[in-house]
Amino acid sequence: MQLTVANLPVYALGCAIASSGGGGSTKTPLAMAVQAVDQLGPVDIADVGSLPPDGIVMPVGLIGAPMVATERIWSGEEAFILRDQVESLCKAPVAALMCYEIGGSNGLLPVTWAARLGMPLLDADGMGRAFPEMQQQAMHLAGVPASPLVLTDGCGDVAVLWAADNYRAERLARRAMSLFGGACAATAYLMTAQRAATAVITGSVSRALKVGGSLRLRARERVAAITGSVGGTVLLDGKLIELTRESDGGFASGSAIVAGLGPDAGRLIRLEMQNEVLLALEDGEQLAMVPDIISVIGSDTCEPLPTEGMRLGQRVTIVAHPGPSVWTTPEGLDVAGPRAFGLPLEYTPISGMTARAR
Amino acid sequence: MPGELHLGVDVGGTNTDAVIIDRQGTLMAKAKVATVPDVGPAIEQAIRLALSRLGGGPDQIRRVMLGTTQATNAILERRALQKVGVIRLGYPLTTALPPLASWPADLRAAVSAGETVVAGGSDYDGAELGRLDRDAVARFACSVGAAAEVIAITGVFSPVAADHELEAAEIVRHELGGVHICLSHEIGTLGLVERENATVLNAALTGVVTTITGALRHSLARHGLHADSYLAQNDGTLVALEAALRFPVLTIASGPANSMRGAAFLSGEEEAVVIDVGGTTADIGVLVRGFPSDSLSPVTVGGVETNFRMPDILSLRVGGGTRIERRGPAMHFGTSIGSRLTSDALVFGGPVPTLTDAAVAAGRMSLGGRAVPAGWHATLTAALARADTLIAEGIDRMRLTSALWPLVVVGGAGALVPPDVGGVSRFLRPGHYDVANAIGAAIAPVSGYAERVCPSRPDRKRAAIQEARDDAFARAVQAGADPRHVQIADVDEVPLSYLLDPAVRVRVRAIGPLLDLPATALPAVPAGQEPDD
Repeated sequence: MQLTVANLPVYALGCAIASSGGGGSTKTPLAMAVQAVDQLGPVDIADVGSLPPDGIVMPVGLIGAPMVATERIWSGEEAFILRDQVESLCKAPVAALMCYEIGGSNGLLPVTWAARLGMPLLDADGMGRAFPEMQQQAMHLAGVPASPLVLTDGCGDVAVLWAADNYRAERLARRAMSLFGGACAATAYLMTAQRAATAVITGSVSRALKVGGSLRLRARERVAAITGSVGGTVLLDGKLIELTRESDGGFASGSAIVAGLGPDAGRLIRLEMQNEVLLALEDGEQLAMVPDIISVIGSDTCEPLPTEGMRLGQRVTIVAHPGPSVWTTPEGLDVAGPRAFGLPLEYTPISGMTARAR
Repeated sequence: MPGELHLGVDVGGTNTDAVIIDRQGTLMAKAKVATVPDVGPAIEQAIRLALSRLGGGPDQIRRVMLGTTQATNAILERRALQKVGVIRLGYPLTTALPPLASWPADLRAAVSAGETVVAGGSDYDGAELGRLDRDAVARFACSVGAAAEVIAITGVFSPVAADHELEAAEIVRHELGGVHICLSHEIGTLGLVERENATVLNAALTGVVTTITGALRHSLARHGLHADSYLAQNDGTLVALEAALRFPVLTIASGPANSMRGAAFLSGEEEAVVIDVGGTTADIGVLVRGFPSDSLSPVTVGGVETNFRMPDILSLRVGGGTRIERRGPAMHFGTSIGSRLTSDALVFGGPVPTLTDAAVAAGRMSLGGRAVPAGWHATLTAALARADTLIAEGIDRMRLTSALWPLVVVGGAGALVPPDVGGVSRFLRPGHYDVANAIGAAIAPVSGYAERVCPSRPDRKRAAIQEARDDAFARAVQAGADPRHVQIADVDEVPLSYLLDPAVRVRVRAIGPLLDLPATALPAVPAGQEPDD
């Protein structure tokens, strides 16, 4: 299986669906990936079992402000900087790249880098969706250290961070990123292929391709196809009638109210957001919550909207689908459940709640 | 009252309209002529007709405002475009997406005289990203030489710090003498690729706008008019003819903005849904504080993504000239027959059933005078019902809140929309609705924009907003606004997420009337924001 000029737009849609509204727009990273693959050839998608057991898996992505990344576009050379650093730190060759976050722009950037390096991309990722912080990685739950964490701004500046633990790695990286122009290419959670086999979320890239396949359908059929392919539930068809935003501790938070239209007329759903959509409420009742994925799909384009791209008056369909199972274990909920985002709620899966709500 | 009148001209795809209004905004004369293949004669004819209906001499006209789709059409048809040398400042960054990489190949071929990425640009906080590679700028300028009619320069984060763009322009000027240069920080906002696209399009349109301003000047001279002239922009404000030559891209899609501003003026409504029904499309937009609500998603022009300030418009293929086709029992909407309506439509004795015929058959319009053949009645009724449904759905989609909004109907085929259209709180089709575009141009104010990125600490943010307000104010005055009446129309803050010391992007728009324009043509000042003085 390969990522090609032909299937990259499909893949990007799958990444956007997985993002739960966060992770930044896929538009510019998609254009970069298409450019790279067009010039350098397709990127192979590899199963972890096909790699040499002691080959290094290099999880990569962007740490930074999505809006900064729309100005500070990458050159592609940062891939070589990261790989060279990693090979000298690990004293072993890198066997494959991996998206540490499949949701949003970070599902696409590693494709450009893999094409540049002529390396395969692992059919896996660290989050199975988008999350804001570095410790919200399946590898963290599996006990893989985030350090050494390598950051580069693409202008020749490099930082290697050895953090005391994975939470401090997140704090240090965020501090460094601000000094590095607001957006860094990064790698963390370096591991051997053998270790990766039990530490990562597998099948993420092929899943995004499958979900994005609905892009080929006519607009009218897409929402149903997307919902079907992710095992999701349509919560509401409606229109965004209220939107508030604020920047809080480095994260863009806010809430939105969607009023039902057509068969859903009279219903109101409130969405709570912190980069991603974290919670959907109706009449005070929880319909869906993190770590499950809440996609807000624009009715005119049938493409999922990033939270920063929502605006008043938009017609949308809200779809909730199960997040990766690694996050619904007690350990997973500790790191990425509602309380990890400051929501004083017990996690309740989507299915049970929707049955009550309808 | 000699020397006080405004003449507004709107050059549309089907018709060219001219209106004359006095300083209170009262319509004194209007004229509508077909836009013949060359716009020059159409402008001249419309002005001649309007002046003759006004009576008296041409010295009564103080200002002339022109709205046109010529720039848009030039891009769509890839004609009359200038060759542009494209310089980007940001190396080694940004090369994964070279300039014009995502343009349609034919447009790129028609426009590009060469592209380069050289070291330079800024960080989000205004610090230097890299030292400007002055030699590389000079080398590129020499290499494109005479092949480039215009040079477009775009630096990373130039809306925050424009120094490198200005410095590079000096170098180009030194190498190539009086070549025309477009700088991205004067044209677009954050988002490198979209801003660069807008800047290159702007450069490519220099010739088109020179031609149309030339045609306007020629028309004015022939009628003995010695008036100040302005072009209408996509945000519903005006730019002096000389400035339009620098920023032609901002005249793109001024049509919808003009019709919405005209609708606001004619109806007196500040918050409303507006539908402009022309020969080809019905364009639905929303007025907020008397101005069109902006589109937030990127706007595509001729296959190129840009980030202009553009009204958020839903365009339905429902117009007076829309052809109605029968396929078996089913009814379809075909393409518009445009200016052939008055010869080809059923009510004009022609063979083509159109939505105008449907509206006449239903008693909504009286036009043409020929009876609609009986065999068409059922199909026309179905077609009109379909058009009504599409329009009602469109209105429902555009209103910003769940409450019902008033609807203002304008445009040459505005009578197509029935007063009992559902989903609106009030229905208004104000007098002279058929020339709302030209009126929108004639009453338009001028504006100035400014943008800053600053730390979100309250003191720093206050200072940055103040700076941006001062800049926007100065730019509005520079554009011809009466400094006594310039107001800050909106202040927009967008937090840049994921930064520990969070930064905020602040955008300010100042709007002011041209001297002695009626106060009703001004937007209300939002609560909590005092007029800047």
